[in-house]
Amino acid sequence: MLQRFLSPSVLAGISGLELVAKTVVEGFVAGLHRSPDFGFSQEFAEYRAYSEGDDLRHVDWNVFARTERAYLKRYRGETNTLVTVLLDASASMGFGTHGVKKIDYARFLCASIFYLAIHQQRDGAGIIVFDDEVRNFVPPSTRHGQLYRLLHALEGAEPRARTDFARPFVHFQQFLRRRGVVVVVSDFYEDPVKVVRTMEPLRFRGSEVLLFHVLDPGEIEPRLDGPALLIDMETGGSLEVSPEYAASEYRAKIDAHIAGLRDRSKAAGMDYFLLDTSRPLDEALREYLSLRAGRM
Amino acid sequence: MGFLAPWFLAGLAALALPVYIHLLRQHRAQPMRFSSLMFFERRLQSSVRHRRLRHLLLFALRAALVALLVLAFANPYMDRPVAVAGAGSRLTVIAVDNSFSMRAGGRLEKAKSEAQGLIATLPAGAPAQVLSFGSSVQVLTQPVTDRGELQAAVASIEAGDARSSYAELARVLRGLAASARRPLEVHLFSDMQRSSLPASFAELELPAGVRMKAHPAASSRVENWTVESVTAPHRVYDPSKVRVQAVVAGYGTPAAKRRISLVVGGRVLESREVEAPASGRAAVEFTRLEMPHGWAEAEVRLEPADALPEDDRYRFALERLEPQRILLVHEAGRSRAAFYVKSALEAAAGAAYGVDVATPEQCAGISPGRFAAVILSDAGTLPESFVRELREYVRAGGGLLIAAGSGAAARRLLPVAAGRVLSVRYAGREEERFLSAGAVDAAHPVLARVNRLEGVKFFQTAVLETDGGRVLARLSDQSPLLVEQKLGAGRILLFASTLDNLWNDFPLRASFVPFIEQAAHYLAGVADSPPAYVVDSFFELRAASEPASSLEVFDPGRKRVLSLAESATARSIALARQGFYEVRRANGRRELVAVNTDRRESDLEVLSADAISLWQGAGQGAAEGGSESETARVSLWWYVMLGVALLSLAESVVGARYLGKEKTP
Repeated sequence: MLQRFLSPSVLAGISGLELVAKTVVEGFVAGLHRSPDFGFSQEFAEYRAYSEGDDLRHVDWNVFARTERAYLKRYRGETNTLVTVLLDASASMGFGTHGVKKIDYARFLCASIFYLAIHQQRDGAGIIVFDDEVRNFVPPSTRHGQLYRLLHALEGAEPRARTDFARPFVHFQQFLRRRGVVVVVSDFYEDPVKVVRTMEPLRFRGSEVLLFHVLDPGEIEPRLDGPALLIDMETGGSLEVSPEYAASEYRAKIDAHIAGLRDRSKAAGMDYFLLDTSRPLDEALREYLSLRAGRM
Repeated sequence: MGFLAPWFLAGLAALALPVYIHLLRQHRAQPMRFSSLMFFERRLQSSVRHRRLRHLLLFALRAALVALLVLAFANPYMDRPVAVAGAGSRLTVIAVDNSFSMRAGGRLEKAKSEAQGLIATLPAGAPAQVLSFGSSVQVLTQPVTDRGELQAAVASIEAGDARSSYAELARVLRGLAASARRPLEVHLFSDMQRSSLPASFAELELPAGVRMKAHPAASSRVENWTVESVTAPHRVYDPSKVRVQAVVAGYGTPAAKRRISLVVGGRVLESREVEAPASGRAAVEFTRLEMPHGWAEAEVRLEPADALPEDDRYRFALERLEPQRILLVHEAGRSRAAFYVKSALEAAAGAAYGVDVATPEQCAGISPGRFAAVILSDAGTLPESFVRELREYVRAGGGLLIAAGSGAAARRLLPVAAGRVLSVRYAGREEERFLSAGAVDAAHPVLARVNRLEGVKFFQTAVLETDGGRVLARLSDQSPLLVEQKLGAGRILLFASTLDNLWNDFPLRASFVPFIEQAAHYLAGVADSPPAYVVDSFFELRAASEPASSLEVFDPGRKRVLSLAESATARSIALARQGFYEVRRANGRRELVAVNTDRRESDLEVLSADAISLWQGAGQGAAEGGSESETARVSLWWYVMLGVALLSLAESVVGARYLGKEKTP
C-alpha cells in the first residue's frame, strides 16, 4: 500500500527531506517484513541463559514470567559501519523532464539512505557534495543531530558548475581515510574509464563503493517533436539535433556509455546501479541494503 | 500576350511570404536545455537534409501558387490570329427590325428592300444569315450561300407589335460570334429608334471580329400622336359612377387640337376636343359610359390619324356586372357598424357591392349562398341552422369577415371560425391610452392600401386565440388584430375589434374605406386585374392550385393560340399582338383581354449619327486593319485558375504528408 508513496513524483510533493526519507524508508521496511527473502538488522537469533554481567535490558521478561528462568534474547548483525555519500551537484543534475529533477531524486535517495543508516542501523553517515570541486562536507558520524546536518547539506546542494571527478578526488582521499561504504550518486557525464580510475583507490583501501547512476528518462530516450537546438546545461554550448538522430545514434551512444560504466565498475569490484528518475526509490534502497548486508 | 489588369502584378511581392516561411523561418529550431551534449556530434543530420529537400518542393509549390493567383487577378490574355481570313470566310448577318415603330411611314418596306439589295450584291459563295428582331430575335435562316433562300426570308418579315431592343440583338450577336468562330459582318436594317437603346451602352458591346454597319430606315424624327394611357375599371357595376381617364401624348408634335373619342362596342359614346402643348401631354375624362351587361371591347381613339395610326387607339376591356350583395349581421340595436360598412362600400370606386343587413334573429330564413360575402359584426347568438349553412357556404368557397366585440367576448366562441376569444383588453388611463397597429402585412391584398393602419386608435380589443390561422396584422402589444383562416375552399377574416366607432376610431379614418372594399373583393374572390395589358406581357390563364380544365384562347386575328395539349395544361400565355384576346373557359365564361403596344415605340426619334457610329465601332477595335491581320483576344484566366486548382491540390497533399510525418514521433 505504501509502495505507491515511493513514486518520485509523489515524493516531490512532500516538503521536508526528513519526511520524505521517513516515508520512503518506513514504507520500504514495511514492505520488507512481508518478504521472506530478506532478513537483517535486529533479527532474532537465539535465547541464551543469563550469566552475571549481562545487560539486564536484554532479558526476555516474558519467558522469565513463565519459567522463572532468565534468558537473554540474542540478535543478529549488530555491526556498525560508516556510510559516506558523494553527491554530484553539477549543473546537469538540474535536468528533469517529468516533474522530478535528477538532483531532487538524488536528494530523496541520499535522505533515505541517511535515515536508514542512522535510524535503522545505527551507522555513521556523512556526505560530500561536489561538482568540479568539493562544495560541502559533513564528516560521517553517529552523533545526535547528524541526520539534520546531513539533510541540511542536502538542502543546500543546488546544481551548478560542471562535473569533474579528478579534481575533488584529492579531497575525497583526505576525508575518506576510514573504511566504510562509499555511495556515489551522479549522472556520470564523464568517461567511464576516468570515473572508475578515480574511485578505484577507495576500493583499494577496503571501502565498498556503490555507484548510483541517476538518469532522467528524457536522457535515456530523448523525444523531440522536431529539430531542436540543444543547450548544454553545464557548458552552455549548443547543437542542432534532429529527432531521428536522438532516436537512433544518441540511444546507441548512451547505451554504450551505461554498459561501459557497468562493466568497468564491476571489473574494479564496485557496484553499479542505474536509476531511472521515473521509477520508485525502493530498488535503489534494496541495492544499498544488499550491499550493506554483504558487509555484515 | 498582355494583362487586362497589370497593376495586380504588384501582388507578386506576396512571394516574400513563402520565402520567409521556408528559407528563414524553417531553420529556427526550438531551443531546449539538455543535461549534456556529450553524446551529440556537431554535424548536419541526414534527416534534416531530407526535410529541407521536401521543404523546397513545398516551397516551390507555394511560390507557384501565389504567382498564379497574382496572374489570375492580372487577367492575362493573348492575341490569337483569327483562324480564317478573306471575304469568303466572313459571315454576313442581315438583321431586320420588325418592331412596332417600323410600321411608320413604310419603314419596314424600305428596310426590306435595302436588305434585298444587299443580298444581291453579296459575292458568290459568301455565307449569310437573316435575323428579324423586336423585343426578341428570330433566326430566319441558318448561314447559307443560297441567295434565293435569303431573299425569301427577308420577304417573309412582317411588322410586329413588339418593342425593339438593341440590347437583345447585341446579346444574340455575341452568342453568334462565339459559336460561328469566324468574323461577322452585321448589316442592321432598322429605324434606329432612340427609345430602343438600353439603359447602359455597355449592353450593346460587340465582340472582337464583329463588324456592324447600320442601314437607317429613317433619317429624321417623325411627328407622332398617341393615346399614352387609359385609366378605367375592369369591371363596371354602376356605369353612372364610372370615370374613364385618358392621356394623349405628342412626340415631336407642335401644339395642336386633337379629337378624342370613347368607343365601346364599336359605338362612339363620347368625343372631346383637347388642346395639347408642343411635344406634351393632355388628359381627358369621359363620364358617360353606357354599355350592356357582359364583356365589351372599348377603346379611346385619337383623331385625325397620323404617320403611325396603330397607336392612336388604346384598347381596354370592360365587363358590366350587377352589384354583388353582401350580408351584414349585427346585434339588434347596434347598427353603427352597418352604417359605416355601407357607407364605405358606397364610397368605394365602382360601387360593386350592395349591403343587406340582418339581425341574428332574422338570419334563420336567409341562405348565405346568395351573397358574395358575409360580415358578422359582433353578432350575438346566431341560429344553429344559419351557422350550419354558413359553414357549408364557406367550405364551398364563400368569404366571411368576423368582427369580434363584446358579444363574441361574452360567448367566448367564434361562429364557424376555429378559435375563441380569451378576454377583452381595455386601454385605460392607468396604462396606455390606446393601442395602435404594429406589424401589418402590406403585401396581403386586404391590407395593401390601408397605409399600415396608421393613426387608427384601438381602445378595446378582443384577445383572440386562433388555431392555425395566418396573422395579417398585429396590435402594438403583439396580439393579433387581423387573422385569416382557411376553411375548405373559403376564407375567413377575424378582426379583433368592432367595425363601429365604439371600440376604435377605425371607421372614421381614411383607411377604413379601402379596407372594407379590399376585404369585400378578397372575400368575394374578385381578382384585381388591369383593364389592358402591354404587348409581350403574360396573362395568367389559371392559378397553380386550380384543377386542369380545358380552355380556348383566340388572338386578335381570331386564331387559336393554344394547341389541344396546351389548352388543358397552359398556365399563362404571352400576349404578342395588340388587340383583343378572347379566353373561353370550360364553364362557359368568356373573358376579354385588351393588349396595347408599348408606348415607348411611339416616340419615333432616331439615334444620332454619333451614337450609331459609336455602336458600329464597338466591335471593331481588334478587327481593324484588314482581314489578313485580324486577331482575337483570348483570355487565359481559366487556364491560370485551373493551374491554381491543381497547385492547391498538390500543395495540400505534400503539406499533409510533411505535417503528418512531423507529428508522428
